[in-house]
Amino acid sequence: MSQSDKNSFSSSVIVEPSEIRSQTSERSARKPRRFPIGIGVARILAFFLLIAALTLLTDRIINTGLRSVQTSTYGVLNRIVSGQANADIVISGSSRAWVHYDPREISSATGMSVFNIGQNGTQSDIQLAMLKTYLKHNRKPKLIIHNLDLYSLQTSKEVYEVARYIPYLKEQPLYETLQKVYPHASRWKALPLYGHLVEDARFNWLIGLKAFVGMQPREDHIEGFVPRHLHWTGDFEKFKEQNPEGVRFEMTSEGTKCIEEIAEICRSEGVPLLFAYSPEYKPMQEIEVNRREIFDQFRDIAARYDVPLWDFSDSPVCLDRDLFYNSQHLNHQGASQFSRELALRLAAGIREKIIKTGM
Amino acid sequence: MLFNSLQFAVFLPVFCLLYFSMPGRTRTALLLVASCVFYMAFIPAYILILFVTILIDYFAGIYIERSDGSRKKWLLWMSIIATCLVLFVFKYFYFVTGNFVAAANFFGWQISEPTLNIILPIGLSFHTFQSLSYVVEVYRGHQKAERNFITYATYVMFFPQLVAGPIERPQNLLHQFYEQHPFDYDRITSGLKRMAWGFFKKLVIADRLALYVNDVYGTPHNHTGLQLTLATFFFAYQIYCDFSGYSDIAIGSARILGFKLMENFRSPYHSLSVGEFWQRWHISLSTWFRDYVYVPLGGSRRGLPRWAIAIFVTFAISGLWHGAAWTFVIWGILNAVYLIGGRATKPWRDRFFGLVGLHDTMLPRKVIMVTTTFALTCVAWILFRAQSMSDAWYIFTHLGTGWNLRQIGTEQFLMRQMPAAFLGILILELGQLWQARGSVPEWLSRLPMPVRWTAYAGFVLAVMMLGIYRNEQFIYFQF
Repeated sequence: MSQSDKNSFSSSVIVEPSEIRSQTSERSARKPRRFPIGIGVARILAFFLLIAALTLLTDRIINTGLRSVQTSTYGVLNRIVSGQANADIVISGSSRAWVHYDPREISSATGMSVFNIGQNGTQSDIQLAMLKTYLKHNRKPKLIIHNLDLYSLQTSKEVYEVARYIPYLKEQPLYETLQKVYPHASRWKALPLYGHLVEDARFNWLIGLKAFVGMQPREDHIEGFVPRHLHWTGDFEKFKEQNPEGVRFEMTSEGTKCIEEIAEICRSEGVPLLFAYSPEYKPMQEIEVNRREIFDQFRDIAARYDVPLWDFSDSPVCLDRDLFYNSQHLNHQGASQFSRELALRLAAGIREKIIKTGM
Repeated sequence: MLFNSLQFAVFLPVFCLLYFSMPGRTRTALLLVASCVFYMAFIPAYILILFVTILIDYFAGIYIERSDGSRKKWLLWMSIIATCLVLFVFKYFYFVTGNFVAAANFFGWQISEPTLNIILPIGLSFHTFQSLSYVVEVYRGHQKAERNFITYATYVMFFPQLVAGPIERPQNLLHQFYEQHPFDYDRITSGLKRMAWGFFKKLVIADRLALYVNDVYGTPHNHTGLQLTLATFFFAYQIYCDFSGYSDIAIGSARILGFKLMENFRSPYHSLSVGEFWQRWHISLSTWFRDYVYVPLGGSRRGLPRWAIAIFVTFAISGLWHGAAWTFVIWGILNAVYLIGGRATKPWRDRFFGLVGLHDTMLPRKVIMVTTTFALTCVAWILFRAQSMSDAWYIFTHLGTGWNLRQIGTEQFLMRQMPAAFLGILILELGQLWQARGSVPEWLSRLPMPVRWTAYAGFVLAVMMLGIYRNEQFIYFQF
């Protein structure tokens, strides 16, 4: 091969002095030391032990920090597991519970304390685990309102925002449920930092580090409720266009069992339960192909466990697009209006029917 | 097995323990077994495909060495065709049949595409090229045919560089299997440091940028011009950090075992021209194409037009090697156009710089040239990353439109991750500049041990804390 060929193409074999330096510098940095194998292995092991110790320490700091957070999502979970929620009325469910039920409205109408344990991005299995955790640590409530949605007859296929659960893996119901959904959850518990780093790309561990030195995240929750100051996103129109034949929601026996277990637990604990179906944007209701089937199932469970089911599908709220930010979720105005509607109904003596005694 | 997996974190120390406790003569066999285990962690059955090419080229090497004249040439071609056929079936079958069917339909013949459910075995292109370089080097008399089957199989299956290179020539690697590799603390820690740098590139930079790039390039029509531009810039660093990070980990793990692999990257984005870029980017592949395609096509010995044809053909094949899609072919051709255009316009550019008083060694001239080269490379990367030609065209035509500073983040990549992304790139660039002016490891080695260990442990912890662990495959695995 001629030199001109080398030069005219990508003559990377022509090694420049800087390259020689960069290639060999790591080896020639110091006068080579000949450690006996034993000492060499010991030094390498010592270094990795140092890393392991630092990992363990950092994990402890992050978890301790997260467990000390008093605001935001972690603040809500910390109040639940430390028995500081102790509300008269507990709202449980998915993101729809989380953003629809304003405790201020319900409290002012009923005169009772209200706490919302709704969890964003969860199905019935995780909602059940969260309710069990609440009941384990807190005073028995006078009423539990479990909000239903079209995903209520399903269990989780994945764990959304895993990072929020990592500090609470010692909570048995929660851990067992997470492990069912994601068998690798045992690694979150067994390997320090694994859960925080591997499952979370959003640096939530920073919240723990900051809290450890006393810096609390911004408060965006009100007794577990999050008012969403959002406008209609337009996602529904796209969704409708993509599903001209309508949309069918999965119904599984596992999901049904979870709802039944919620009713069962409330019965055995002697806590009155109310199933509620909070407002859903009307045009969305019209494209839900198996809506009737799902509601038949809800009514069947409610009848078997003697639990009232309040369906707000015909509430005037459902017709006003300005009260939603997407077809399933109300914005802060919608949440206020719906919570008032619910609270008035609760306060107006219907409560007597639900809460036969002891409230 | 991915380097960035829990499996590998267990595999490597266990293997090293076994490797250094065994007598020298048994280590090659152990390396072969380990390489098989490493490869079979992906799709176990595909190891059989590698063994087919290993058998072909092992015997081809021996017979080529024994033969001469036309028989020798015939054996070489048979071996090349047989090895390439395997690659063709697994990598290019759908590309060729798809294009054939499209052409047939265009002319009115209604035929349908065959369905074979073929998945490309990981790293097959790298493996094929390393095998080919062996038979060609034996043919040229630069390398003796390897008689020991285990040694030959280990050479083409050596796990640190099995799935994504560097593509090693037999002259560099094969003899190392016959050398003693005793336990050497300095060599091992040097390998570990190189691996740590590779993990920084892969986990902290590449995989974080991938969140943004995947969102934007997955649905380019849903993103603004600013997001498309930023995603293209990020992709340039993602692919560099992904691939050079892999090379660093490969070189580092091989060094731990006592093997010296060739360097594959030399700060390519600091290049002053596209020609220089190709001297610094994926060096093992560039030199492979130079030695086995460009030079046999005539190189620069037969005048400018023939040189341009050689460059054009070489880069078109290089594009096709990267992926069985037109986007890759056109990416290769675009790079050829850059090189040919660069050579044709060099006198004018030199005259222009002379007129404005910017001489070769002046910093502003270097900055202009580095920036221009980087911009041209980014334009080419659009073709490389886009999912189709229509997506690529959309991105090209919308880079400058609809810039909205309030709409920069994406679904997977929130604004709060932006500082980490830019900080990672900044640390990378500063590290490379520092390394170019003197050795970073050398500077570190002069520090007292407690300070040094604190720095190393801090770096490892920072990589762990800031990394993304979604078991993202290395981009070049698909090739």
